[in-house]
Parts: sequence; structure tokens; C-alpha cells
Amino acid sequence: MESSPPYSKAEADRTGDAAWETSLSPIGLIIKAMSGSRAEERRVSFTLSDAFGLGYGYIKHRMDRAAINIASIALAISFLSTLMLTDAFSRAYARAGGARLSVETYQYWLVFVALAVSVVGITNAMLIAVHERYREIGTMKCLGALDRHVLLLFLVESFIEGITGGIAGFFVGLGAALLSAGFTTGFDIVLRVPATELLGLFAGSITLSLFLSVAATLYPAYRAARLTPVEALRYEL
Amino acid sequence: MSFDMIIELEDLARHYEMGGVTVLALDGVDLKIGRGEYLSIVGPSGSGKTTLFNMIGGLDRPTRGRIHIDGVDISQLDAYELAWLRCRKIGYIFQTFNLIQVLTAVENVALPTVFAGVPRDEGLAKAEKLLTSVGLGERLHHRPLELSAGQQQRVAIARAMANDPAIILADEPTGNLDLNTGMEIIDLLHGLNKTRGMTLIAATHDLKMIKASDRIVWLRDGRIEKIERG
Repeated sequence: MESSPPYSKAEADRTGDAAWETSLSPIGLIIKAMSGSRAEERRVSFTLSDAFGLGYGYIKHRMDRAAINIASIALAISFLSTLMLTDAFSRAYARAGGARLSVETYQYWLVFVALAVSVVGITNAMLIAVHERYREIGTMKCLGALDRHVLLLFLVESFIEGITGGIAGFFVGLGAALLSAGFTTGFDIVLRVPATELLGLFAGSITLSLFLSVAATLYPAYRAARLTPVEALRYEL
Repeated sequence: MSFDMIIELEDLARHYEMGGVTVLALDGVDLKIGRGEYLSIVGPSGSGKTTLFNMIGGLDRPTRGRIHIDGVDISQLDAYELAWLRCRKIGYIFQTFNLIQVLTAVENVALPTVFAGVPRDEGLAKAEKLLTSVGLGERLHHRPLELSAGQQQRVAIARAMANDPAIILADEPTGNLDLNTGMEIIDLLHGLNKTRGMTLIAATHDLKMIKASDRIVWLRDGRIEKIERG
């Protein structure tokens, strides 16, 4: 049992169900979600591995929606990594005595636009996913799910999608960069780029992809988490 | 407060604001429900059946009055305690079954045990046992879409029993089923009520369901019109 819930009885009466949980900001909810649950008397539990199990099930069995999100993030990341890798290749080429190829600044602006578009796309797809699952969210709350468990479930899904999209995007970008630079520099250019630089770009792509995917899901997941069981169950598709 | 009453409602009211008009979904309901009782809640649509269901189930808070479950006033509980109550004390059965579509039958039944903090293997073993007891031992790894309506409702009943709740709340459990399947579900619920001593509260239109119950509460316009013995 929570020792001293940080809200007054009057406030609970006013705001209704799950009062103090829903009064938290999205960030507050995430911190709570990540802090996990301790097995105590009168406490419901939903661990990170439970969330991964269920989230994986949702992605696997509703592959179409997940594929759109993954493709959207992978495209944007591949665009970015194409430019970064082309740049890395041309620097390696220049070091080896070849002519300096250049990546124009405006191309980075295009990348920024692509990333923004993918965030908007994922937010949209996730909002639709929340609507599709209204009743399931209501049911889960009847079975004992807290707001933060619902939030955690959606965030875990976006985490899986973000990682997959990041990895796929990096390798598509690597292929594209090789195609665009390889004919001038030779395809072995990839071996002349320091391995740490390649690894750094790989890690950077995944980190950015994860960050964007989770950021895009925050608002839809927060909306899903705040649904009261009654609202969620009443909803007809 | 007498010992054998599991649910006590005192002057329970729930008002909604709808387009500037106050709707009295429930308006002063007093009711005591005994442990192990089979109670039917009957009334025309809009009489407050679902609202009463939501109140007893800890899904909605009353505007006025009290709900005691096992002597605890549930309007005093915080979000954690309410979730715990829903998880451990109450099993829900819906007209539309409400199974999680991406999970298999056995995973659906095991889901409440996940929230209850039961180890995974233990929860799955229990789910298997429950599904076998409702006659679905051969359908453990089917997903809801691969099951008939009657089978889906059996899965939902098994899920409702996963944490051995004291109370089963059923909202029109036979509403989406044909006559024979409905009968089977009624027999199943009635059997569980008698053999396991679970308190069964069902909002229903189904005459066969009403006939099987110990008491029938007639609701009209958010008030109890009459209470009959079954």
C-alpha cells in the first residue's frame, strides 16, 4: 500500500477515478512507470518484462500498424545516415588523397524535415492504435492495470519499433551512401572509415530513432493511460 | 454491519451532467448483498443497471452515498487500492467478452494473475486448469478470433475467476449469445456460484438467467422498484 498518497481526499472526490495518478504530468508518469513495481501487500504488479511480452504480442499480431511506424522512422533515419556516412566516406577519401566530396548544408535541413514528418506520422498511427484499443484498455484496467501500466505498454511498443527502425534505417543508409559514393571512391571506402566512427554513427542512429519514436508516442500513450475504465468500456468501435 | 453481507450500498447516487441537464443515473439505492448470493439486476435500458455495475465494480465513483465491499468503503480508496480491489476481489464478465485479441486463450486467462504478481508459470498453470474446468482444455492456444462466441465467453468466465475473486460481476453475459449457448453459460455461472460460493451479480434481460437467481432487483429511473425472491 502506498504510505501517504500525495493528494487530499477532497481532490480525489473532485477528480474521480485514479485521482492522483492522472494528476501527474506525463514525465511524472514515466518516472513512475520506469521505477517498476514492488511486490507488496495490496499492490498490483506489472513488470517491464510483462510489458515487453505483451508489447511484443501487439506488434507481432498487428504488424501492419507497427510496420508503418517502423518504416516511417527507418526512412527518416536512413536519410540521415546516408548523409552522415557519405560525409564520413568523403573525409576518408580525402585523407587517402582523393578529391573532397561535400554534403550541402541544405541536405541536413531536409533530414530535419524528414525526421519531423516521421514523428508526426508515428504520433498519428499511435493515436489510431489507442482508439482501436479503447475497450482493451478498459478491460485491462478492470483486471487491475494502473494508468502507468497502460503508459508503459505503449512506450514499450514504441521502444521496440524505435530500435527496429533505427537498425533498419542505418543499414539502408549505409547501402545508399555506398551506392552514391562508391563509384567515385571505390566500395572499399567503408573499410577505410575508422570503425569507431562507424560504430558511433550506428549508435547515434539508434539513439535518435529511439528518442523520436518514444517522443512521438508520449502524447497518445498519455491519453490512453488517463482513460477511466468506464469511458474506455463504453466506447463503441 | 452484519457479518455475512459482502456488499452494502447506502443511499447510492450517481449524477451525470449531460448538455447542461443533470441525469440521475442512480438516485438513492439501498441494497445489501449476501456472500455467495446470486443476484439479478433487471430493468429497462437507462434504468441504471450499468451504472450500478460500474459502482459495485469500483470503476466509477458515486456522487453521493457509500459502497461497502467486505466492510471497506471503496469510495475512500486511492488508485492503487482500487486497482488491487478490481484485480483480486472482483471478476468482470462483459456482454462483448472483451478478450485481448493478440493473446491466446490461456494468456488471456493468465493476465489477471500477472497484475496480481503471480509468477508466470504458476499463472499459466492456473489458467490451464480454469480453461479445462470450463470445457476449453482443447483450445488453450487459440486466439479469440479462432473461437466461437460461446467459447469466448467461457474464456472470459475463466479469466474472471483467475484470482479467485469473492464477487463476479456480469453485465448482460448472454446478450450476444444464441439461446443454447446462453443456457450453457448460465449453467456454468450458476454452477460456479453454487460450487465455489462466489457472489454472482448479473445485470440482464435474459429471463432464464433471472429465473436461476436467488433474488431479483428491479431498477427503474435509478431507483429500486422492487426486490423479488427467485
